Amino acid sequence: MPRTRLTRWVVAIPMAVLALATIYPIVFTTNVAMKTRREYVLDRFSLADSLSWNNIVKAWTSVGMSRYFLNSVIVVACSVALLLLIGSMAGFALARLRFRGSSTLFLGVLAALFIPFQVIMVPLARIMADTGLVDTYPGLVLAYVAQFLPFTIFLLTSYYSTVPADIVDAARIDGNTVYGVYWRIMLPIGAPALLSVGVLNALFCWNDVLISLLMMPSAEHRTLMVGVTSLRGQYSDDIPTFASGVLIAAVPVLVVYLFLQRQIADGVTAGSTKG
Amino acid sequence: MPASTAGAASSRRNRRGSRAERLAPLVLLAPAVLVIAGLRLWPLVLGINFSFTGDGDRNGLAVGFDNYLTLLGDPLFRTALRNVGLLVLLLPVAVAIPGLLATFIYLKVPGHRFYRGVYFFPAVLSPVIVGAIFNLLLAFDGPLNALLGGLGIGPVDWLGDPDVAIFAVVGVHVWATFGMALVVFLAGFATLDSSLLDAAKVDGASLPQTIWHVIVPSLSRTIQFVFVTTMIGMLTSMFGLVYVMTSGGPEGSTYLPEYYVWIQQGQMNQPALASAASTALFLIMLVVGLAQISILRRAGKED
Repeated sequence: MPRTRLTRWVVAIPMAVLALATIYPIVFTTNVAMKTRREYVLDRFSLADSLSWNNIVKAWTSVGMSRYFLNSVIVVACSVALLLLIGSMAGFALARLRFRGSSTLFLGVLAALFIPFQVIMVPLARIMADTGLVDTYPGLVLAYVAQFLPFTIFLLTSYYSTVPADIVDAARIDGNTVYGVYWRIMLPIGAPALLSVGVLNALFCWNDVLISLLMMPSAEHRTLMVGVTSLRGQYSDDIPTFASGVLIAAVPVLVVYLFLQRQIADGVTAGSTKG
Repeated sequence: MPASTAGAASSRRNRRGSRAERLAPLVLLAPAVLVIAGLRLWPLVLGINFSFTGDGDRNGLAVGFDNYLTLLGDPLFRTALRNVGLLVLLLPVAVAIPGLLATFIYLKVPGHRFYRGVYFFPAVLSPVIVGAIFNLLLAFDGPLNALLGGLGIGPVDWLGDPDVAIFAVVGVHVWATFGMALVVFLAGFATLDSSLLDAAKVDGASLPQTIWHVIVPSLSRTIQFVFVTTMIGMLTSMFGLVYVMTSGGPEGSTYLPEYYVWIQQGQMNQPALASAASTALFLIMLVVGLAQISILRRAGKED
């Protein structure tokens, strides 16, 4: 291990270069978004002359990113709320209630965890079309819930398994029904896990493109990521506007990341230590 | 915590409780079971079934393995399979890089907190955003070629040359996701017994020796987890990148199975063929996953 100062710095320098390589693409895109088209064509690397929000405004209004943004917010909010509700109910039941078949059900959840969307997307599209859910908000929400529910249940079950059974028993003795225990005890106790799983699910849904592309074909229902892909063709000769659209889609993620980085990391690593 | 006795006690109380109480687990689990069974497990069965039926004129007719034969004969699907092979070959690199970086961060190189925060960020960005950004950076007249030109190299047509494009796409995928594996490694390090490292230090072990003889064996479970999740990530979360960066081109050289499924389903209207490709992808994942686990198990035992 790098016990001398020299080796520490020898390692630190490539790591700093890598950090630069990680930040630069985002800085570059931000800078391009601030430039006029003319500035970009003349010199794409120079700093933007002035902080101009024109491209951002253009992307938000006339290009239609605001509509896509709203679509994404609606779908993500509904999906995450449903995921947390259904997932915590199931997680509580699997972790803290005794009933026949509980381990079989948990195995079923684990099995579903290993079915990637690509493998079931054709029949799922057909089911959505047959039930008239294709190109509707409920349809896309349902597709997201189905996609991320196994993961949500898995994490919440393992979290609820760490809640001492005494707490549940004490609440029962105090006269709570099972539902009362869930609502008044388990939901509040589970708050940290719900936050972590909720943020992660929000990111998954916000970042998705494949499911949205398949389930929401019409232009007015486009989510933000599908909107960004459609910009590519439309604005290939107006890179600053394109970069602005990309930035609009990235900024909410950046904000969430700055405030909730630890919760995201907790969610990502939860499966690895228990594995 | 005597969970079993406490659980038995509560189940005894359940039995004494009202009917509504006894049905509670059923009620609480019903939505989850409905969604998972109806929209995950059932479609899997449907899809496998579907892959043995025909498209177009032969819609709904049983065609045996025809779709799979069509797949094997399709140069685009063969390219997709070849690219999967490439991903498997690159897998050790995609695992070693974050592993090494996590080691340095764990050993507290100067600025380690900052690096952790920076490296992890691209992993939470959508492949669409990452792909769009790299469309700009890797353009023929873009920044990377300008940088290389300054060093007297290139220019390289990163996304336009059939021999280069797949490496560009995979490279961007690794750039965008190594932070995920890094964070998992760091969680593994948190469980590491630091007295082992101190012992290695006292014994005068070099850094490579320490990594190989102390860190790798102690983290075998984490390494196994990262291998499997990285491979699953490569097989199932590169759609956005391919879709945005190359649309499968140039000359179909960046096709991956998931992109092939999408094209056949969404563009070519050949759902049965798409289902066959889906099933093939599922089999690939099973085989690769199981192979990795058994190889890593064996390697773990030899240590």
